[in-house]
Amino acid sequence: MGVAMDDTSAVLEARRAHNEKLTLKADKRRATWFPLAILVALVCLPALQFAGNYNYVLHLVLFTACYVTMASGWNILGGFTGYISLGHNVFFAIGGYFAGMIFARYGISTIILAPLAGIVCGVVGYFLGTIMLKTRGPSFIISSLALVMIARILLDHWKFVGGANGVALPANDLPVEWAKLPYYYAFIVMAAFAVWASYKIKHSKFGLGLRAISKDEIKAESAGINTRLYKVMAFAISGAFVGMAGAVWGEYLTYIRPNIFTIILVSVYMVLMCILGGKGTIAGPVIGAILIITFNEFFVATLGASEINILATGLIMVACLLFFPLGIVGTLSKHGRLPRVLNWD
Amino acid sequence: MAELLEVSNVVAGYGDGPAILDGANLTVNPGKVHCIIGPNGAGKSTLLKAIVGMLKVRSGEVNFKGKSLKGKRPDQVLREGICFVPQERALFPKMSVRENLRMGGFLMEDKAEVERRIDELEERFPILRERRSQQAGTMSGGQQQTLAMARTLINKPDIVMLDEPSLGLAPKIVREMFSIMHMMASEGITVLLVEQNAMMGLKNSDWGVVLDLGKTLFEGPAADVLGDPRIQELYLGGKKAA
Amino acid sequence: MVDFIQTLVLGLALGGVFALMGSGLSLVFGVMRIVNLAHPVLIITGAYAAYWGFRTLGVDPLVMLPVAAFILAIIGLILYKLVFEKEAKSAKFTQMTVLLTFGTAMIIEGALGTMFTNTQRVTSPEYATDAIFIGDVFIPTGQLYAGIVSLTIIASLALFLKYSRFGYAIRATTQNRDAAELLGVNVNMVSMVSFVIGIALAGAAGSLVSFVFSFFPAKHWEWIAILMSLVVLGGMGSILGTVVAAFTLSVVAAFVGDFFGSTWSTMTFFLALFLVLLVRPQGLFGEKPELA
Repeated sequence: MGVAMDDTSAVLEARRAHNEKLTLKADKRRATWFPLAILVALVCLPALQFAGNYNYVLHLVLFTACYVTMASGWNILGGFTGYISLGHNVFFAIGGYFAGMIFARYGISTIILAPLAGIVCGVVGYFLGTIMLKTRGPSFIISSLALVMIARILLDHWKFVGGANGVALPANDLPVEWAKLPYYYAFIVMAAFAVWASYKIKHSKFGLGLRAISKDEIKAESAGINTRLYKVMAFAISGAFVGMAGAVWGEYLTYIRPNIFTIILVSVYMVLMCILGGKGTIAGPVIGAILIITFNEFFVATLGASEINILATGLIMVACLLFFPLGIVGTLSKHGRLPRVLNWD
Repeated sequence: MAELLEVSNVVAGYGDGPAILDGANLTVNPGKVHCIIGPNGAGKSTLLKAIVGMLKVRSGEVNFKGKSLKGKRPDQVLREGICFVPQERALFPKMSVRENLRMGGFLMEDKAEVERRIDELEERFPILRERRSQQAGTMSGGQQQTLAMARTLINKPDIVMLDEPSLGLAPKIVREMFSIMHMMASEGITVLLVEQNAMMGLKNSDWGVVLDLGKTLFEGPAADVLGDPRIQELYLGGKKAA
Repeated sequence: MVDFIQTLVLGLALGGVFALMGSGLSLVFGVMRIVNLAHPVLIITGAYAAYWGFRTLGVDPLVMLPVAAFILAIIGLILYKLVFEKEAKSAKFTQMTVLLTFGTAMIIEGALGTMFTNTQRVTSPEYATDAIFIGDVFIPTGQLYAGIVSLTIIASLALFLKYSRFGYAIRATTQNRDAAELLGVNVNMVSMVSFVIGIALAGAAGSLVSFVFSFFPAKHWEWIAILMSLVVLGGMGSILGTVVAAFTLSVVAAFVGDFFGSTWSTMTFFLALFLVLLVRPQGLFGEKPELA
């Protein structure tokens, strides 16, 4: 009997030590200061304008922030829930057209309209989700592609929003070195919000349900999760983030036009950023966005041809899927090599 | 009596997963109906799959007519003379009955011989002639099972292995299936089947094998297995059912 | 009445071309369970092969057809070896393979754009602009020829699948991969050959497309949804179904175009795809829940 007791306490001791080690590991790995430091740096970055014209740098950061917002939004559906959508640029378009049209008619800044555009996209996403999420797997991917095609035709032929020519939006009247600033800060705020929100969602009961769905939908359902509602909500929320980004993007470009918002490359970038960075992780979409935008600028600047850009994007996608489908963050953390500063989960 | 098929201490599993079979043994004698019983997850189907090479045998031996089958592909095992019908009948649902039978002779070079054997089979199983151009997937469960069993005969195999041939069939149809099996056995074709319904399987077989947790617990004449009180208690639902 | 017949004829004529465009996709899906989003861009590759032959050598696109099919067969073999061989062995298709074909489509689109630029192209043999009149109804010769060639190729394929030993193997693998393997079919070989045949069909379809539609590399996005609607409506993997769907939808699209204008005729295909999704919410591809 005494021996058995010794055994039990030995096992309990080992378990306690193991648990402590895990907590220690988790604590040591989380580095909240790092994303906050980046944020502070980015907020201060426009001070460069006092030293000269760094509009291009600001544009790149803004562009990246726009995609961080969208990719983090996409990640809620594609990463957490496991439903790969190639049609999320439809929300980009809805957000852009909704805010852009109000801006054109009533002069209300799209930056103010962005949250509203997000809500509109969320509602549209909810209804689209109830239809489209009846399918799963490859069927869902195909249906999302069909959605883009339908949206493209509708926008191309809707006279009210200018058809294929779109609508020109007035530029702001700030001096040229400060003209980008409102949009810059808008995108930084949206990107930060998207990253923060996806962290909160991932660690909520809702996020746990989503991740259960991506692992095994049948089991998730039998565990009492309302999978239908969860999926549709994930679709709506992820659409809302993409729509918010779209809202401000139109005013920033000073026009809204179907071939800006509904080209498939926008969707592809969202998907690719998440896959490259690591689907379902918080830092993944951010890292993916930074890398893809950098690649993109590199190809456009050095080779100048969008065809090469498409080819390279495809190559990155295929290579990524074949050789490290978990993405950068996923692969590194699987091998226990994830640097502390990149563990935002 | 020389063993036709001898399985000893076989360890096997799916992919890199745990070993489902962990030291399984089996002796198959010519011209009899053998029945493997055991609870769910005991490794019954896994054993058949390991024999035909659908799963890699990690250790142990599988000898057929004195030759090792280890490392052989399913088509090579078929050429050796073992024909396997997996669960759910393994038909080609959108092919006609006749085309399904032709697929049975896929490996035979002599196509005229295949047609001749199909004609013979239609003679023996009139239902197959009646339904020859019907899509296999539209037939009843019993007819499909008859087709699946008849198809194995095209290769004139030494052993026919059936994974749960009674699945989803009415008791009357199941009896018909067993009578086909006994007919095959009387022609010298050894039958090896896996049966979920242990009582029914053993009652209709000559030889019984009890498999549990990946190990062979008992092998012997079906009547002995049926009569063993321990087996009755654990696997046959106690005295009452017997 | 003449208008009605005219629209019907034009719809049927287009259906012939779409049928061949969709059948290769259907074959590849049937055997390998891969939804090949790169199929349309491979058709465009075939069209460029025909265009190149027409422009530089003055060869008729119909004569270039076997050449285009051969070139695409080689491309198909390379793709299979590089990208899909591993997937074929797993015998199930996953979301990943859809994205994989999507990425492949982008690579090919980019390569074509680099080589041929994004200008609209079309081959213009004399028959492409000609028409035959039967009473008051005219049939564009180009589409008529394309339809005849397309149906001939599909019929040969159907006969091959129905009667040849390899055809039996392909059908068996499509319907029950495990059972086919147990009966001695080399399913990996079947996967490879079917994939190559499917891509060769894209090449053949491409040379017909070259004088029926104008094309440029990025056009394949639109065709993805169109071809998907055919394959999905026809029951994934059934070539006959794809052909029937191609004719049905083309005729419906022709009438829609007649009533509402040509842009809405394209919409017909997309809406059909959506409608099928609504009617069969459990999934178009019979995917099992654990794969999703």
